[in-house]
Amino acid sequence: MTLSVAAAVLLGLALVLLIVAVTSQRDAARTAFASQEALAAGSQLENSMITIENGLRGYVASGQKRLLAPVTTALGSYPSERRNLARLVSHDPGQRRRLAQISAAIQDYVELWVEPVIGVANLNLRRARSQLLTNTGRERLDGIRSGFARLFERERAVIAARQNRAESRSSRAITFGIGGLALVVAIAIGFTLYLRRSIVRPVLTVADATDRLAAGDLDTRVPVERDDELGTLARGFNSMADSLARGRAELERSNSELSRSNAELEQFASVTSHDLQAPLTTISMYTELLERRRAAAGPDSGGDLDLVDGIRAATGQARALIRDLLEYSRAGRGTLELDAVPAARIVEDALERLAGQIEETGAQITVGELPTVLGDRANLCRVFQNLVGNAMKFTREENPRVSVDAEPEDGMWRFAIRDNGIGMKPEHTERIFKPFQRLHGEEDYEGTGIGLAVCERIVSQHGGRIWVSSTPGEGSVFYFTIAGAERADVTLQVPQAPARAGA
Amino acid sequence: MARSRRRLWPALLAIAVAAAVPIGCGGDANDKPRAASPTATQPAHPPIRIGTKNFTEEFVLGELYAQALRAKGFDVKLRSNIGSSEITHQALLNGVLDMYPEYVGTLLSEVADMPNRPASTAASYALAKRFEERHGFTLLAPTPFSDDEALAVTPKFAAEHDVRSLADLKRVPRLTIGAPSEFQARFEGLVGLDEFYGVHKPRFFPLDFDKRYPALNSGKVDVAAVFTTERQLTGHRYVVLADPRGLFAVQHVAPIISKKVLAAQPRLRAAIDAVSAKLTTQAMRRMNGAVDLDRRTPREVATQFLTSQGLL
Repeated sequence: MTLSVAAAVLLGLALVLLIVAVTSQRDAARTAFASQEALAAGSQLENSMITIENGLRGYVASGQKRLLAPVTTALGSYPSERRNLARLVSHDPGQRRRLAQISAAIQDYVELWVEPVIGVANLNLRRARSQLLTNTGRERLDGIRSGFARLFERERAVIAARQNRAESRSSRAITFGIGGLALVVAIAIGFTLYLRRSIVRPVLTVADATDRLAAGDLDTRVPVERDDELGTLARGFNSMADSLARGRAELERSNSELSRSNAELEQFASVTSHDLQAPLTTISMYTELLERRRAAAGPDSGGDLDLVDGIRAATGQARALIRDLLEYSRAGRGTLELDAVPAARIVEDALERLAGQIEETGAQITVGELPTVLGDRANLCRVFQNLVGNAMKFTREENPRVSVDAEPEDGMWRFAIRDNGIGMKPEHTERIFKPFQRLHGEEDYEGTGIGLAVCERIVSQHGGRIWVSSTPGEGSVFYFTIAGAERADVTLQVPQAPARAGA
Repeated sequence: MARSRRRLWPALLAIAVAAAVPIGCGGDANDKPRAASPTATQPAHPPIRIGTKNFTEEFVLGELYAQALRAKGFDVKLRSNIGSSEITHQALLNGVLDMYPEYVGTLLSEVADMPNRPASTAASYALAKRFEERHGFTLLAPTPFSDDEALAVTPKFAAEHDVRSLADLKRVPRLTIGAPSEFQARFEGLVGLDEFYGVHKPRFFPLDFDKRYPALNSGKVDVAAVFTTERQLTGHRYVVLADPRGLFAVQHVAPIISKKVLAAQPRLRAAIDAVSAKLTTQAMRRMNGAVDLDRRTPREVATQFLTSQGLL
């Protein structure tokens, strides 16, 4: 708005200047034309005087009256020629004065020379001829002609001066006009630069800072140099960045606190379970010893054996519980060793470990086409082992069927372990991944309820997730996702164990 | 933004003004034609137009009459240095002039075509006056001085050729005469010299009045036409040749004036006569010399004389 108005004003000014230039050229041409006219009129008048003198001399010398005709004509015409010239130089006081002198000289010449000579000649030609020998007429005519010379010189000077002045004025006006146009351009450029500098640049600075902030550089701030809306924007940005930085600091603090308490807890669990194992082992040992001695003592004392069996069973159960607890605890603390591993090999390992159970249950295990994944071989083996083991365990029939497949999903591989087992109700599908959560009594299905919790931990550590889809009485499908080996960059997104300690 | 815009406007305005100012200065003030001055109030009578012939004594006479008349309250327009008697008199007849001082003898011989003029100056004056009155003019009272035309030679030339009189000139071989050009055709000139003194076809040099004495001095001419009231003739530097047969008339000056003008302004005659009465030969010689030799202007010389005579 400001720019366009300013440009319009200056453009108008420049146009005015150019118009002035053209006008002064036109005026110069006009005055030059008037001066040319004045020169022509002056020459005509001067020529009339010369015609008079020549005709007069011709008449007096020859006595031929006819030679007087041009004289008479010129004497009749010169007053109007003089008036014409007077009109053409009327604007110039100097020229008017010169013409007045010329007019006086002409009057003298006509009244005091031409007419008297004609008068004398009409009476006495011989006497008139003697007058022609004098310089009187010549001098008068010379006076007139020098007057004309001054008039013409002045008129030509006036033409030249006007031409010069008009040219200098028009060239000055053209200079100013072009200068004005240049000024318009300069102001436009200046205004653009001003806009860039005062608006675009601050906005870009804030945008830039926003990018850096988004990339995680919470220390980014923009300078607040102004008092206007852009200043407000900068201050707003800075306070937003401040608040983000404060939030992050708060988060980090509570995070580290959580990690610490988690670590303490795990330490406690680990120590507790380890320490528990020792006395339990001792109990178990003594119980066996007692059983052996009783056996050696004789069958009559057999009634006590039931008790001992009970102790031994309870102890074994406690040991299994503690072993699983340890395993779960370790699953959360170990260091992952990521490698590109063919999933088929991992599954193979897992099935080997489950060989006894497979044989016992007579399960049919189907393994589909499996990809190479990026993961810790031992931990992943544990996952497959637990899931396939569960699939065989919670079964209704004699010959359970289990299949292991993989499909790509969202850039990762989704593994599915499918069974034809007892299934579960939808409301239980979340609970089962928590440690020691069992859906059934130990009398129905043995186990400590830690297996799926361990799986959840390991999958989470690999950046994947685990879930179950199930229909009671028909079977379950356990899914989990793992990054493929082709996506080595995934490792970057998988924080190492210490950072994930609390997850 | 609003604030910076407010700052921008005065700056733009200043730029615009700065750009415009030099143009304003460039324009020239157009001269307005000066208002015509109001015409001077017409006097009761048109100005008296006085003319003079083309030599010093006439210039002085013109100034004398013009200044004296102006002092008496007359309106005078002086047109000096017109030309010979023939031209000036014709201008008078043409109605361009009202008055000019003329030599009575010249008037009779060169204007009135009366070469055989009366012997006495009084008769000549009366004849000339009658001639003028036939044309609507008249002669006023003649001046006391007489300015006779004459021929002069250097003393050296006079001695070499034993020349004392115009009659002696016919003996000089290859005689050269310098004079104003009208001398060639006048009776009181080459015509009369031949007729009265037998000087037949001498070589003639037309000379302006101021070139006559230098031409004599340099030897360009043997003889030059002079006037007896010229101060150069004092001090025996030149020999004025005798005119035993009276070729050159005794020349008193009388103003020729229009009778109509005289009638219209009755006090005019007395005013002019008062000037003429003071013009003695001695006075004229002094005044002519002051102009020709002392390079003073006729106007100054006339003013000084009129003042000394109590006419201004």
